[in-house]
Amino acid sequence: MSTHLVEVVITNKAGVRDPEGETIHKHLILKKGYSAISSVRTGKYLLMAVSANSGEEAIRIVKEVCEKLRIYNPVVHDIEVRLRA
Amino acid sequence: MPRIAIVKFPGTNCDEDVRHVLVNVVGLYAEIVWYKEFTVNQWDAVVLPGGFSYGDWLRAGAIAARTRAVEELVEARDMGVPILGICNGFQILVEAGLLPGALLYNDTGRFVCRWVRTHIERPRGPWLALAKDGQVLDMPVAHAEGRYYIDEESYKSLLLKSPMLRYLQGFNPNGSLYDVAGVGSEDGIVFGLMPHPERASEAHLVPRGFSPGGRVIFESLSYSLKRGW
Amino acid sequence: MPLSTEEVEEIRKILGREPTEEELAMFEAQWSEHCSYKSSRLLLKLLPTEGRHVVVGPGRDAPAVKLFKDFAIVFKIESHNHPSAVDPYDGAATGIGGIVRDILTLGAKPVALLDMLYMGEPWDPHANWLIRGIVKGISDYGNRIGVPTLAGDTWFDTAFNTQPLVNVACVGVAPLSILVLGSPKPGDLIIIMGNATGRDGLLGSSFASKPLAEDTDKEIGAVQVGDPLTEKLLIDSLQILVSRGLVKYVKDLGGGGLTTAISETCADHGLGAVIELEKLHTRQKLTPLELLVSESQERMLIAVEPSKLREVEEVLRSHDVTYSIIGHFTGDGVIRVFYNKARVAEVSAKELARPRAVRRASYPPTEALKGLKPLYSLPPEPSYEEALVKLLSSPNIASKRWIYEQYDHEVGVRTVVKPGLGDAAVLRLLDGSSRGFAVKGDANPRYTSIDPFNGAANSVAECFRNLVAVGAKPIAIVDELNAGNPEKPEHFWYFEMMLKGVAWITEELRLPVVGGKVSFYNEDYRGRQVKPTTTIVGVGRVDDVSKAMTMELKESGSLIAVIGVTYPELGGSEYLFKLFGVEEGEIPRPRPASELRNATFILKAIRLGLLNAVHDISVGGLAVALAEMAVLGNLGVEVSIDSVYARGVQRVDELLFSETQARYVVEVKSDRVEELKKLAQKLGVRMSVVGRVLDKPIFTLSKSSKTILSVDLDLLKDAYNSLERAIEGGA
Repeated sequence: MSTHLVEVVITNKAGVRDPEGETIHKHLILKKGYSAISSVRTGKYLLMAVSANSGEEAIRIVKEVCEKLRIYNPVVHDIEVRLRA
Repeated sequence: MPRIAIVKFPGTNCDEDVRHVLVNVVGLYAEIVWYKEFTVNQWDAVVLPGGFSYGDWLRAGAIAARTRAVEELVEARDMGVPILGICNGFQILVEAGLLPGALLYNDTGRFVCRWVRTHIERPRGPWLALAKDGQVLDMPVAHAEGRYYIDEESYKSLLLKSPMLRYLQGFNPNGSLYDVAGVGSEDGIVFGLMPHPERASEAHLVPRGFSPGGRVIFESLSYSLKRGW
Repeated sequence: MPLSTEEVEEIRKILGREPTEEELAMFEAQWSEHCSYKSSRLLLKLLPTEGRHVVVGPGRDAPAVKLFKDFAIVFKIESHNHPSAVDPYDGAATGIGGIVRDILTLGAKPVALLDMLYMGEPWDPHANWLIRGIVKGISDYGNRIGVPTLAGDTWFDTAFNTQPLVNVACVGVAPLSILVLGSPKPGDLIIIMGNATGRDGLLGSSFASKPLAEDTDKEIGAVQVGDPLTEKLLIDSLQILVSRGLVKYVKDLGGGGLTTAISETCADHGLGAVIELEKLHTRQKLTPLELLVSESQERMLIAVEPSKLREVEEVLRSHDVTYSIIGHFTGDGVIRVFYNKARVAEVSAKELARPRAVRRASYPPTEALKGLKPLYSLPPEPSYEEALVKLLSSPNIASKRWIYEQYDHEVGVRTVVKPGLGDAAVLRLLDGSSRGFAVKGDANPRYTSIDPFNGAANSVAECFRNLVAVGAKPIAIVDELNAGNPEKPEHFWYFEMMLKGVAWITEELRLPVVGGKVSFYNEDYRGRQVKPTTTIVGVGRVDDVSKAMTMELKESGSLIAVIGVTYPELGGSEYLFKLFGVEEGEIPRPRPASELRNATFILKAIRLGLLNAVHDISVGGLAVALAEMAVLGNLGVEVSIDSVYARGVQRVDELLFSETQARYVVEVKSDRVEELKKLAQKLGVRMSVVGRVLDKPIFTLSKSSKTILSVDLDLLKDAYNSLERAIEGGA
């Protein structure tokens, strides 16, 4: 058993609006002339330290926690669960 | 006749409240100025009122702090125009570097709207001319990102030399370090606070057990604009 | 609900040909239950809607009532139950957005928001998730748009564990002279202002007309995310457009999107329209059908005279409000929709928006008998201290501070009586005078699930009393009827009876129902309905806000009096449920004549300055009302229950916890008690002086000179403040 660091990134699903991302893009980034940036999406980042026998098991545990405890709302959010590089 | 600008950004929502107090309660001339049209040299004092400029997206006050209107305020700092930042206005002043420290998410993780008791230390400058050192001021807070943070070094070298508003024991609503509710520049020309003085300037809005502690800030401005500071 | 074969046949007849895909989608949106009110339209005619001071009754986007000679109050109620069950945060937030925009259509300034939330029990994990999401959604949206949220109502019940009821209301004020009551003219340009259109909530209203599917992931098409920043810009720019006389007609794009906004406008004013869909500003590529029925939030329609266009565009651009000119109104009554010059729909506006009505079958299920069963045998009385503490810590009674402190309830500097201290909120007009208004939302799902007719009547009465208790004269109400599946006769019966209850008592109280909404299909995937609920939002006139009354005890040495008669009516009470798990019995009888008499008395007594505090008696009965006043004022009481005017009461708990209607507890200035007694006599009101306010923090009740309950105020305070612990967990 060792400790694995697992990252969880929660974002709005593609078809769901992200007014925060839109506002940062339109009112800050584009207003200041950085037209090279074509879009901004925001999300929530969680870093979990997990005791598990392998990286895969750690990811499995985190995915379960996120599902069961409604850490994200599957109706509106996508999650990316990955091992910290 | 001194003229006061109340700068409004997309999402600012306490502008009319501040104007009401300045005009109807204290008797000053004040205008709400849309941020695109604001230039500092037309005004004798500037208020950045409360609300949610740009939805508080990214960080409260972060996007407004990068507008031309606020950048101009920073450039014109030496002109000595009195600037008051209330709640979101305070957040903008901190993000723009006109006041020290940072304002973080409340330690409860929730928005909080309730009356608090504070006291003012080292009152100085146009916004506090009529306040006495240690005077108790009651006002309501209404914010989600009001937890004041500053490093110990700056607290000792800057804050303890400047006017400061402190939450009294038992009244800190958000975990602010050193119970800081508001801070001013050393000369008091720029002053920012999380509580809302415009909501505490008239007796009938004050709940039992509290008093209208915000009024002295606006009356001090009126006094200072006539007599200097 | 997809159109039935009969409905499609009807459309063929109306058009005289096969409908296009776009036309079918338009009819489906317009004829959905949510937009057409087909199941409720006929019965809704029972409600009294007229009154001397009604300016705009039901039918427009928002009702308006004359508050004072020169000022109108505009208020409306809406539900967002289904979206909140699926995505509580955005569902509740977009509910707030929608209701505020409706107020904007009359050019009024929104000055108050109310949230009436009927949710599950805080210790159920799913319900807990819904509670937090809903409150946060309302908090984040309402706070950002700068409208104070207050005077709401909450109820926690297992029936709502997965299907919450989220009813929201908004109040606006406007000088009568500026109310936008005009109509568009042929030639006026149709401008859509606000957010770009996307795929949000496609067929959202059709979705609201369906019971919740088991697999909520498929519901994503109905989820809409709110953007309060855009909403604030809409509010600000519309205020400017209206004050400069640049627009005479404003409509919200709500359920049914562009389709219903255009069809209702045209049908109401005998107009037609030419629409060029490709001109609508969008976020993503959409088909014409999607453009017609998308329910993207924060969009409004304004009709602009061509000569005023330039000025309007200047205001919108300077406020960073995006907009598009999508067409113009015509005088021929036909809506013609084009996409890149190709015609995709051509429909008569009147046919599209024609009111549909279906008379549904209705009969009581055996369930309904439990409201007719008198309680003839009650379990033995518990310790009164235990009962009182249990009641005060019941989420339905406990302080709702955890909720209202998340709402900015002071923005606008109008809030004189703030949440937690008054039976209703009191706001000043802020026009230089001390005039103002009171507003409150109320419902009791337990009553209406046991006895829908009397339960709904009691909800109206409770709202009425709450307004009176702060010193306001009730002038009008709006109602939201939340019920099950109208196609099931045993669900529809509850709806019908609730409606009839409201219709009956409002006529007796002479309180016009100037508007209202109906929310059907509040059932789970197994077809079980939630507790049917009638939510009432009432407004009252306050001539002088400095005289507004709060409920906390203020002065030791003052006397305490109970107004009204107490009957043994424990049926449907919080006491019976919390202490014995029983939810049945004859619920308290509505008493409109007593309500009117007692209200006149209370308002007069307040005006004469005889009282220090007033609290209406409702959930939990007399003992709870007394305890609340004591805890909030931090002053003790000594009350002798023998003095309480009662009839037919056999047991002490009946006296303490009965929820008999038309009663109040008042704190009387000790030197004005005789005057109060004389006033009561003159007005034929039952008044009993039952005790006094102490300066020590002890709550004492006695009977026949023996103490039956004596408890430290701190213990009661702790129970009363337990909701936060219940929701956040911990000790």
